[in-house]
Amino acid sequence: MNYFIKRVLEIIPVLFIISFIVFVLVFVAGDPVALLLPEDAPEEAVETLRTSLGLDDPFYVQYGRYVVNMLQGDFGDSFRYGQDAMSLVLERLPATLELAIASILVAIMIAIPLGIWSSTKKNSSIDLVATGAAVLGKAMPNFWLGIMLILLFSVTLDMLPVSGRGSFSHLILPAITLGTGIAAEMTRLIRSSMLETLSQDYIRTAKSKGLRTGIVVYKHAFRNTLVPVVTIIALQTSTLIGGTLITETVFAWPGIGQLLIQAVNTRDMAIVQACVMVIAFFVIVMNLIADLLYQVLDPRIRYK
Amino acid sequence: MNDILLEVKQLKTYFFTEDGIVPAVDDVSFNIHKGETVAIVGESGSGKSVTSLSIMRLIEEPGKIVGGEINFEGINLNKVPRMKMREIRGNRIAMVFQEPLTSLNPVFTVGNQLAESIKLHQKKSKKEAREIGIEMLRKVGIARPDKVYDQYPHALSGGMRQRVMIAMALSCSPKLLIADEPTTALDVTIQAQILRLMRDLIKELDTSILLITHDLGVVAEMADTVVVMYGGQVVEKADVFTLFKEPKHPYTKGLMDSSPKIHEWNEELVSIPGTVPSPFEFPIGCKFADRCPHVMNKCKEEIPSLIEIRKGQEVRCWLHSEKVVDLE
Repeated sequence: MNYFIKRVLEIIPVLFIISFIVFVLVFVAGDPVALLLPEDAPEEAVETLRTSLGLDDPFYVQYGRYVVNMLQGDFGDSFRYGQDAMSLVLERLPATLELAIASILVAIMIAIPLGIWSSTKKNSSIDLVATGAAVLGKAMPNFWLGIMLILLFSVTLDMLPVSGRGSFSHLILPAITLGTGIAAEMTRLIRSSMLETLSQDYIRTAKSKGLRTGIVVYKHAFRNTLVPVVTIIALQTSTLIGGTLITETVFAWPGIGQLLIQAVNTRDMAIVQACVMVIAFFVIVMNLIADLLYQVLDPRIRYK
Repeated sequence: MNDILLEVKQLKTYFFTEDGIVPAVDDVSFNIHKGETVAIVGESGSGKSVTSLSIMRLIEEPGKIVGGEINFEGINLNKVPRMKMREIRGNRIAMVFQEPLTSLNPVFTVGNQLAESIKLHQKKSKKEAREIGIEMLRKVGIARPDKVYDQYPHALSGGMRQRVMIAMALSCSPKLLIADEPTTALDVTIQAQILRLMRDLIKELDTSILLITHDLGVVAEMADTVVVMYGGQVVEKADVFTLFKEPKHPYTKGLMDSSPKIHEWNEELVSIPGTVPSPFEFPIGCKFADRCPHVMNKCKEEIPSLIEIRKGQEVRCWLHSEKVVDLE
């Protein structure tokens, strides 16, 4: 429990450091005013806007103001939308989380049975097909797979919606698009760690007790491969929350990825800050969950 | 001691590797009577572990039992369906392995692993299995068995873990216990304790033991009958007293000479020259020919057969088969 409190408190300085890095990067990236006004805007107008936005203050004043506001939960207003940046990001967050979780579930549902199966039938035709499928899944670019899925299921077969977010059916194609790539990687990982586990002495012990193959494989072997599996699930979920821009674009999915890229292009500093903070927060939380799960999954792991 | 519990008859287990066929066990026969302890002795690579795994039908690819019979209580284990074999494994025949540190699953409690076979073979509820399990832990000399029952293997010492393994193996009162180097990985003081424990328990449960070892001290302590293996074949078979008093095969003699004896401290410890060759490099004739101090031309050309030179002692050696011929 102490460990848990310690880990939660650690989130605060990490977020602080991240906010500073992002602030510096956006600061050196250039002046947003140039993009906010037309090219032929008079010099005074540019100056007025810059002053009113506080952009002519020195770096430390701007950063100080930013920190003070941030601590009050205020990331400033978007230059572009004129709204509070954080609420814009939080508005998009459910869509991103929904897609991330659905994609991970797709990956898990493919990878766990396939990985275990190919490990127990090593070098058989099933294993070769699974390996081939994994290579293919990893090699296919998301934008291409997404477009092909739309062509087949939405245009030709007219079974699923082309794009947008709404009902469950909207979720299927983007989740499959993102899930297959992750499933490919996960299958390989599960296969190799299962192969290692299956050669352990305790598997021979389990067999010598007369247990059914299913119990030997799923109880005794698979439980021992869950630590790497949880690691990859946590890592991939973090990645999905941060960067699914291409898939979001292909399916017009209103997630954080699109918002962030637009904000970077228009130097919409407040949104970039808010997006990065939210993404960073989820990455940290996913890592924390994984670390806590390790203890549950492997009794030899104990943190002080 | 006349009732045969296990009869291994001309067992052949080959490994079909990419480099060729390895006859890891080649025409091995021996019997285990009820209540008897039979030891298989040999160096690494002699085929003793493969013999024990063959009896359990736990030979993994690319290995395969290619011939012979393994008759246990009147059933040929080599022929029984997998379902039936699972009912025998862990129940009628149980096994203790060499590595107590890695033979228990690290992510399940001792109790979970102990109760597994009790629930499976004795059809007990979880609660009953717990009671039986704790009782077994007490029997193998574990202090505070109810506490250890809920502990994970990593919290126990090697000796404790081997006791747990023995408790697990004996929990269904098997008729045959196969112990594959049960004390090799343990400290000397713990070894003696574990051996004593096994001896006491098998007497109580009327279990026979097939003991796989390379340690002649353990053999002298435990065994009634000894089977000496080399290169996948039985080279000598005798009761323990005869074997220690009058070893006939040069390999058996070599093994005896290379183990230290406490009362012959001034004698230099000898070793058998050379090492066990790789499976593909065994001589055509007697497999021991290259390392044998008494090697003759015949040894390099023809494999001697296992011949009974007196009641209860069999030897696979041209030296002794000549004598038999002479006598006739």
